Amino acid sequence: MIVVFAGLLLRAVVVLTGAALATFALLWHAPGDPALAIAEARYGQNVSKEVLDFIRVEAGFEDGFWTAFWAWLAPLMQGDFGQSSVNGRDVWPDLVTAMSYTFPLALVSLALGLAVSLPLALIATRRPGSWLDRGAVALASIGVAIPAFWLGLLLILLFAVQLGWLPAMGAETTTHSILPAMTLGFGVAASLTRIIRSGILEARGQPFLPAFTRRGVARRDIARDHVAPHAAVPVVTVLGLELAFLLEGLVVVEVIFARPGLGSFLVNAIFARDFPRVQAVVLLAAVIFVVVNLAIDLIYRSLDPRVSGRDA
Amino acid sequence: MRSVYVLVTVCALLAIFGPMVAPHDPTVIDIPNRLRPPGGESLLGTDALGRDILSRLLHGARWSLGLAFVVSLLGLIIGTTIGLIAAQGGRVADWIAMRATDTFLAFPELIAAVVIAGVLGASTGSLIFALTVTGWMRYARVARGIGLSVSNRGYVIQARLAGLSPLAIARWHYLPSLLPSLTVVWTGMLARAILGISTLGFLGFGVQPPMPEWGTMLLDARIHMRSTPLQMIWPGLCVVISVLAINLAGDALRDALAEQDAKT
Amino acid sequence: MLTVDNISVRRGVSTTLQEVSFSLDPGRTLAVVGESGAGKSTLINAILGLVQCSVGSVSWNGAPVSQCRPALVMQEPRAAFNPRLSLRRSVMEPVVAQNLAVGSDRLATLCRALEVQPDLLDRRPDQVSIGQAQRMGILRALIAAPPLVLFDEPLSALDAVTQKHTARLIADMQEQEGFAALIVTHDLGYAAAFADEIAVLRAGRIEEIATAQSFVEAPQTEYGRMLRDAAFALGALERVA
Repeated sequence: MIVVFAGLLLRAVVVLTGAALATFALLWHAPGDPALAIAEARYGQNVSKEVLDFIRVEAGFEDGFWTAFWAWLAPLMQGDFGQSSVNGRDVWPDLVTAMSYTFPLALVSLALGLAVSLPLALIATRRPGSWLDRGAVALASIGVAIPAFWLGLLLILLFAVQLGWLPAMGAETTTHSILPAMTLGFGVAASLTRIIRSGILEARGQPFLPAFTRRGVARRDIARDHVAPHAAVPVVTVLGLELAFLLEGLVVVEVIFARPGLGSFLVNAIFARDFPRVQAVVLLAAVIFVVVNLAIDLIYRSLDPRVSGRDA
Repeated sequence: MRSVYVLVTVCALLAIFGPMVAPHDPTVIDIPNRLRPPGGESLLGTDALGRDILSRLLHGARWSLGLAFVVSLLGLIIGTTIGLIAAQGGRVADWIAMRATDTFLAFPELIAAVVIAGVLGASTGSLIFALTVTGWMRYARVARGIGLSVSNRGYVIQARLAGLSPLAIARWHYLPSLLPSLTVVWTGMLARAILGISTLGFLGFGVQPPMPEWGTMLLDARIHMRSTPLQMIWPGLCVVISVLAINLAGDALRDALAEQDAKT
Repeated sequence: MLTVDNISVRRGVSTTLQEVSFSLDPGRTLAVVGESGAGKSTLINAILGLVQCSVGSVSWNGAPVSQCRPALVMQEPRAAFNPRLSLRRSVMEPVVAQNLAVGSDRLATLCRALEVQPDLLDRRPDQVSIGQAQRMGILRALIAAPPLVLFDEPLSALDAVTQKHTARLIADMQEQEGFAALIVTHDLGYAAAFADEIAVLRAGRIEEIATAQSFVEAPQTEYGRMLRDAAFALGALERVA
């Protein structure tokens, strides 16, 4: 098991290094003169050539690719994310502030989605094929087809504009989080319902289960000891994908509801061509993603002893 | 679920022939007639610049659906190639290909696409590039997985011994076993591409105005949410219906393949 | 000629082949016999270059074996053919792959010699009998006239009557074409009847190697004797007067 963990850890490190390289390379090759963008953001139009040259040297654009890459990566590994090229502030504190808006929303949306999908899936699988089951599947199928940005706008239209019950923009109070959480939670609920349902049905189909029933084992015990662990495997595996979906949805939702989280942080940084900030967010997202998937991979392997060492 | 295939075919037909059916030119600006409600000349009303919404939707199908088709196909080609290199090329090639796949998979696809499209400058070209670069990995994994099991088959060994070129071996001996699963993956990726294109359009990183892509249309509609809320419904509805149709078709395909597998 | 020079194949901790050496001339047949797990398949893979030798080398006339494009007849005839392609396509694959100018008369000649009805070639692998499939496997192996042909348990999947028939056909083809044949088999009776030399493989090593006749009359090792006696007992081998 230790060997497997070490192997996965090594893979994660390789992947993160590749991710850092890709992020840096992309921004290195961005069209347009980055020094000009920085200069304009700082000083406005009509910047003299001397200032441009100064910025170029200061920002490290004069160095070769690898020198600049290392100059960015080395401090990064010690936690120094550099400074915003637009306003000179340290990136990390602003990043943390943004995270403080995003993470709670993400967790609440995930919890909301789970709270809806789990009971729904359980009820639906009570009688597979019934109109309740079919209805749940239909609803879930439609749900995954609905783009988060559309749903968000519709919710704003209904609850904020027409009914005036809930605020549409900002993140000041908890009430402001209701609509965003509903938007994201809906998508999570839709996809989780389908997956949990099929996981349960598949777990129920295990060939050795009828033997238990014949021997008189209670249905509840069977469910707890044999169906649930088996069903948990695909659900856990898919949580990694759900995370991706969540991260993507957060970007959109924060933009729509004007919340100052990681999503808006990223989008605004891109528009302002504030590359240090963009790099920081992208790398952060990658780290979160890789770490979470690593954890899920480990849980998956410990849950299902049949999985062998090589790339699953 | 034949009705699903019919629905998908209708969507495809609309995407191809829609513009010819459209009653008006989607780009003609007609300020005096702006923001008209549905009815009369414009079945679904006009937008802020007086353009007929229905026509824009029909033309938009080409962008939202057509581009998605191109992007998903490109991803299919690239991903399958990489997956086959991993399966055919020996342990080193396999390791490199898989680590590359993992690296690209480390980024949530949409975020990477937003960054790429945003950094390269919003245009159709960077949109295609961004979505292709973030969309090939699933194919690679599937192609590699199936490819590895195919590599051990007798006829593949025979083909190698005979000196058949790797390309020919891939074409005749690997591809037929790969295509069913790859097609299922492709339907899923097509749906993701549609959502991706419209989301990027909505965020301003995608297809640029005046092109009538559905996501971009929603961006316009948002500004006039209070005055003409109905405008927001149509583009989103189009996205939902197309994605739903493709998802259902993909499910039906997967079920049909599973049945076939069970028979053999 | 085929020269196997002191090869060893190691996979991690286990050694599947150790210090295996022998040579094989064109027109001659060497049978490699042994129990399951002795390493016979690994030997074939090593000769064909499908598996790396940790020590030693395999060569044909001094050059790497792959250069002479050796052919392989597999144990399971149908697995050797792509189920989606016609047998004709599969059989002609070596010719197409190596860009050879092989005429249709060679195909016709081989079909006749191997008793394969030409119209069977247009069928799929699952539409012919196992015996027919195996003969087509031999056909494909020979179509590009390779100087070396390896046989991996060529008769094991066939019934007794077809076995005798196919063994005869293989021997006839060798006389006709003049290739060097290495036959891996667990059937000592077959080896004794059709091979020039017999090599006994045990746990990755060659226990003994001798002409077929001298092995059957007087095996040099105890293991060899045990194999021979077991074959007598089963009636697979007939005592030589």
